[in-house]
Amino acid sequence: MARLSDTNAPDRGIVVRDLRMHFGETLVQRDLSFHVARASIFVIMGVSGCGKSTLLRHMIDLQQSAQGDISFDGQRLWTRDAAERAALQRRIGVLFQSTALWSSMTVGDNVALPMQLHTRLGAAEIRDQVAFKLALVGLAGQESRMPSELSGGMKKRAGIARAIALDPDYLFLDEPSAGLDPMTSQRLDTLIMRLRDALSLSVVAVTHELPSIFTIADDSIYLDDEQRTAIAHGDPRELAERAEHARVRAFLNREPLAERDDEEPIHGN
Amino acid sequence: MPLAAADDSALYRIERESDTSVLRLSGDWGRAHRLPTSEALAAALTRDGAVRVVIDGGELTRAHPRVAAVVHALQQRLDRRDVDSRTRALPESIRSLMTLARPAPQTASVGRGPRWITRLGARGRGQFDAVLLVARLVGNAAAATPRLALGRAQARWPDFVALVRETGAASLPVVTVVNLLIGAVLGFVGAVQLNAFGAGLYLADLVGIAVAREMAAIMTAFIMAGRVGATFAAHLATMEANEEIDALRMIGVAPFEYLVLPRLAALTLMMPLLFLYAATLGIVGGMIVGDLVLNTSPMSFLGRLEDAVAARHFVIGFVKAVCFGVLIALASCHMGMRAGRNAAEVGRAATRTVVVSIIGIIVIDAIFALCTNALGV
Repeated sequence: MARLSDTNAPDRGIVVRDLRMHFGETLVQRDLSFHVARASIFVIMGVSGCGKSTLLRHMIDLQQSAQGDISFDGQRLWTRDAAERAALQRRIGVLFQSTALWSSMTVGDNVALPMQLHTRLGAAEIRDQVAFKLALVGLAGQESRMPSELSGGMKKRAGIARAIALDPDYLFLDEPSAGLDPMTSQRLDTLIMRLRDALSLSVVAVTHELPSIFTIADDSIYLDDEQRTAIAHGDPRELAERAEHARVRAFLNREPLAERDDEEPIHGN
Repeated sequence: MPLAAADDSALYRIERESDTSVLRLSGDWGRAHRLPTSEALAAALTRDGAVRVVIDGGELTRAHPRVAAVVHALQQRLDRRDVDSRTRALPESIRSLMTLARPAPQTASVGRGPRWITRLGARGRGQFDAVLLVARLVGNAAAATPRLALGRAQARWPDFVALVRETGAASLPVVTVVNLLIGAVLGFVGAVQLNAFGAGLYLADLVGIAVAREMAAIMTAFIMAGRVGATFAAHLATMEANEEIDALRMIGVAPFEYLVLPRLAALTLMMPLLFLYAATLGIVGGMIVGDLVLNTSPMSFLGRLEDAVAARHFVIGFVKAVCFGVLIALASCHMGMRAGRNAAEVGRAATRTVVVSIIGIIVIDAIFALCTNALGV
């Protein structure tokens, strides 16, 4: 009961503190601190290769860092033992960039598998749940299709249905609208916002699609690839006009970068 | 965490008000290990001819999405039975979820599957198409060989050289071990049996003919089917799955010439060479055992071998090796290129290649045995 009553308490949702990420010897990002509120959509943005997906992989515990701390509803992720971490991971749903639907299983089996593994529900009970998850994402009655028979947008929807199979509290989306046409992309945005409201999900989305960012984001962070840290934090609609850094404004307004002082000189002249 | 109910009795109860069944949902569905199924609920609610169903969520202690799933499925079932259903006192979040799940009008309905006779026919046609595909592959291979010989095929030299290394040089260690041991085993069995009749002298005949005519070619072919055939099949199946083969077609490259021909050529070229190497090692294996068990000196073994094993035995083995090479190459490329576009199919293509190759090798060997017997060679 009362899942929503303490939504805005500071330790609810996801808290990232002083996170530093390396890729081998190379520093990817440092000093990342932010808070993802309950039942909101948080967008991680930045240019390609700035470490957006790496940050997402850290947050879902597929990669670990020696420095910094991530906690979900006050539970610290990396100090827990393996069983507690696995239990926490089950409260996280992930839509991977390539959807990663298991290609040898039907769409229905893709959604059913997490429930078969992690609940004691029987086959008929799971069937009801799978039918509903697919109906939620607009794929009602498509259980017996193979992933290869689905279009790009339908695959993303099926991936979301699988991600919410265990009724998670947190949903992570890696480039949800990449490669989709504007109409499909817009419908997906609507779906994500409706799921946030109906399931009171905390959604973390990695994306650089501007229309999507402005539509869905309640809050956002901009990872800079030169300073290797977050240089802007807040509602992207406000950042587009009032961000301190020119690079953030240029990114959000899709403009060429005006000031060039902080860029490295071009070699070979 | 409180003890979870082992059954679903704490999650609902059914009450009857004249011609209306009331389903009262209660408790915490998120923690339950068993849930009522929509099927069972629909049956229970309409058992006594109820024409109306009311689903009441007033006693739920938690608004969990599972409730929405079961109510959604239940209402669909009741709709199909023409039973009027409505909900009352459902938590707000459950209601908004159910609104979201309302079917979009454009969703295509999934019709019933085809009848058994149609499925049988489709299967038969599928088999026939598979035979046609093999025939086309063999025909293509025959037609393209002259082009390859004239160097006009759309294949790249570096690819071919890499394939030759992969099939030939890289296979040498396995071929060495297996054939040396096969020769030694044959030599040992032969030595024990022949010695019982005082015919130990004929060990060279037995080992030489068995290895040159049968064992070297067959064992090498088995190794190549497992080592190279499976690799080819998995590689081509992955390319197919990644649309790489389609990409080749789009730049005007015939997949057969670019992918199949170099593999066919490499295996057909390497198999007979590996056969010669394998036969030599098999005979050496037999010779070592002869020396150890029967004290036949290598010189006298080789002298006997020269008299006993005619060149035709080597020729027969050589020709078989060429045929096995063609078989493995065509089987692996065929299985790889017709594999479905998913991860499981890649593995299946590799397995099928090995199985088909092994059966094919034995069948070809039997045909050779029949033919050489009829010809008296």
